[in-house]
Amino acid sequence: MLTLPHRPGRVAMASVLTAAIAVLIVAVLWAILAAAREGAESSRIDIAHLLRMTALQAGLTMVLSLGVGIALAWALNRLRFTGRDLVVGLFAAAIVTPGMVVAFGLLSIWGRNGWINQIAEALFGVSFDSPAYGLSGILLAHVILDGAFAARILLARLDAIPHSRLKMGQSLALNAWQRFALIDWPALRGSLPGLGAIIFLLAFTSFPIVLLLGGGPANQTLEVAIYTAVRLDFDLAGAVRLALTQIAICSIVILIASAFTPPPASLSHSAQPSWRDAGPVRVLQWSIMALGAIGFALPLLSVLYDGLAGGLLRVLAQASFWRATVTSIVIGGSSALLTLGLALILSLGRSAAERRAARTVLGIPAFAYLAVPAVVLSLGFFLLVRSSGVPAGAAAPIVVVIANSLLSLPFAIATLGPPLDAIMRTRGKLIRSLGLSGWGQFIRIEYPLLGRDIGLMLALAFCFSLGDLGVIALFGTQDFQTLPLMMYRALGSYKSNDAAVIAALLLIFTIAAFVGLPRLVERIAHAPRR
Amino acid sequence: MVKSSSLALAVLLAGLSGAAIAQDKPTLTIYTYDGFASEWGPGVPLKEGFEATCNCTVNWVAADSSIGTLRKVQLEGEGTEADMILGLDTAIAGEARATGLFADHGLDMSHLDLPGDWMDEQFVPFDYSHFAFMWDTDTMDTPPASFEELIALPDDIKIAIQDPRSATPGLGLMLWVKAAYGDRAPEIWEGLKPHILTITREWSESYALFLDGEADMVLSYTTSPAYHIFDADDHTIKAAMFNEGHFPQIEVAGILKSSGHQELARDFLAYLTSVEGQAHIPTTNWMFPVVDLGDALDPAFQGLPQPEKTLTLDEAEITANSSAWIEEMLAAVQ
Repeated sequence: MLTLPHRPGRVAMASVLTAAIAVLIVAVLWAILAAAREGAESSRIDIAHLLRMTALQAGLTMVLSLGVGIALAWALNRLRFTGRDLVVGLFAAAIVTPGMVVAFGLLSIWGRNGWINQIAEALFGVSFDSPAYGLSGILLAHVILDGAFAARILLARLDAIPHSRLKMGQSLALNAWQRFALIDWPALRGSLPGLGAIIFLLAFTSFPIVLLLGGGPANQTLEVAIYTAVRLDFDLAGAVRLALTQIAICSIVILIASAFTPPPASLSHSAQPSWRDAGPVRVLQWSIMALGAIGFALPLLSVLYDGLAGGLLRVLAQASFWRATVTSIVIGGSSALLTLGLALILSLGRSAAERRAARTVLGIPAFAYLAVPAVVLSLGFFLLVRSSGVPAGAAAPIVVVIANSLLSLPFAIATLGPPLDAIMRTRGKLIRSLGLSGWGQFIRIEYPLLGRDIGLMLALAFCFSLGDLGVIALFGTQDFQTLPLMMYRALGSYKSNDAAVIAALLLIFTIAAFVGLPRLVERIAHAPRR
Repeated sequence: MVKSSSLALAVLLAGLSGAAIAQDKPTLTIYTYDGFASEWGPGVPLKEGFEATCNCTVNWVAADSSIGTLRKVQLEGEGTEADMILGLDTAIAGEARATGLFADHGLDMSHLDLPGDWMDEQFVPFDYSHFAFMWDTDTMDTPPASFEELIALPDDIKIAIQDPRSATPGLGLMLWVKAAYGDRAPEIWEGLKPHILTITREWSESYALFLDGEADMVLSYTTSPAYHIFDADDHTIKAAMFNEGHFPQIEVAGILKSSGHQELARDFLAYLTSVEGQAHIPTTNWMFPVVDLGDALDPAFQGLPQPEKTLTLDEAEITANSSAWIEEMLAAVQ
């Protein structure tokens, strides 16, 4: 058992933050209960059926996304080609793009009138039943969103395998399977429970995609029932009951994930791989890469194509577009920095915690926000702001920033947690022998080594905020609108061309952030470049 | 030095008094749905038009949906900033009325030109249209002329509709089927089931599915084709006329009892239903005006087919049963 450097301060700070997040969620639910009056009794929703459907859908999404993610990360780790960075950026971009945009991109490829069907019509005169609706459609959209994200996070773990291990493996002449089982798998294993939990929760609470592609009430989630209770029946107590049901189920998943996440074993930066796998395996890797590119990149490319062909200049000439862009960037930037602070406090605390129970508890707040239904959360925030006496207009930006930060927290911790854990475990001896203080440890060791990961995390949080449609919907006004809100409003005013242009521009901003930010921060952090 | 500082002080005071004068103007706060207050919606010209005469400021506050405006006011209770709510429709007017939050408007509504007479103490209508299924002349030769004809079409003819729990048109379709078929409604829904491509959360998503060619028909409004005619002289999108008759959506506005600007709010409603105010509605909200605009109505609206028959349901009946009817519908299409 190795002894970690003793850092009680870090553990204390993380504990305080964990408690604060718990208090916030309780306050949100409490505010709604306090506002509940004699409303209509909720319609008798078949909760058991909804739960079964939701759990099945989320479970399938999780398994498929992790499988796809591992395969893609494995192929990407082995291959080097021009535009690889762009592909990696595109993969990460999927998860933070507004769900609606991804869903419509998916339809333009796989839909009844999508490219594939159009080509089939033209070549063979047949058209297929579109797989894009019903359960298969939901799964397809979710795997595009979450599988690509999983690939991005897992690739970071594979790229962090130390050079010495690879050299050793190469000299032992491991075959491709042995190499995966002995070298790659231990590096991936640590990230899987956390990633799996995130993906499960995202799919469990997914709302717009499920409604758009689900085909009807047979494939709905609990979130829809909660929305109904709040909006249609105005049964706030019922909404809180349903929300608690959802939180309870999600908590089980979160606990399992937090308890089973083993600390990762290594941290370094991958050099150019001189160790290639043999012929047939290489063909397999290229095939995975090609399929991945078609599956993930095509829907996004179709969004770009539709948008840029739809009258770019008309949108760029609108003053409101630029106002929305500035608002989005300010909100995104603030929330990214806040997320960085929160994620560092939690991850540093967790990496310094020696007892398993403490690690588990400190792992929980990462996911807390995902378990709380968006409609309940925004409603609770609205009521809290209201009771604090601040005018809603003034509080709107602050609430949106805080909510978006909490929303990106699980992704931020999935990004920063594993490398921080690895530093504590691999460099713990060195840190103790140097007698570094906690602050010194961070400035001299963790920060320089984490540059790229911090950049990736900032990009994630920034783009999450950029693509958010959930919280802004309750707080947006005429003067306070972000790009996704503007896009949605355009769609609601018959301006589907403008909406397509905004969607394309959002995607371009997102990809730029993912390709640019990690490099930029790495440069700032003076991490050794190789 | 003294001079310049006193000058600065004078400028500062002038600035402050200017601000104070601006403060003296009353502000009329109106809660409405997103689309109405957006930069493309009627909110912008109506604000401009009313502010030119009222010596006041109009402040639109957008909620994410029309029912959202009502819920927001209910949550805020007595302390709400809203003077009025604009954008509820006749399907939820009963529920809104039952909250007891709305004051009588006391306006004379006899000049209005609506399907049916308008007698309502609290709510004032500002636009209307009928729900209808859109079809595209490029992909369909003859549209169905009734729900039964739609059901009889081959299964690969797909429609996109909206969830009655989250979207006004979705609720409207549910009421339409109920008004036309009464107890036979579940049977109609079961017949429609194979044709339903998907049930979206909002109108926008389903309409986008139709424009992308994913759905052959979409539930929208008889006035939707006017947008395409106006925007690109595109006459390919038409509303299918059904023999059963059509259910209307009439959008209304009401003054809250808690408002401190009753008089001003009444003036706004009078302006909203005047010919001048109504002239802004058609080409921004894509609905029919509630007064006869004559030649001032945009030509895109002039030739639109109108239903032979307007179906109605009693408000009290809607309020009492809509939850049960929604469940009945969802069970039938499950």
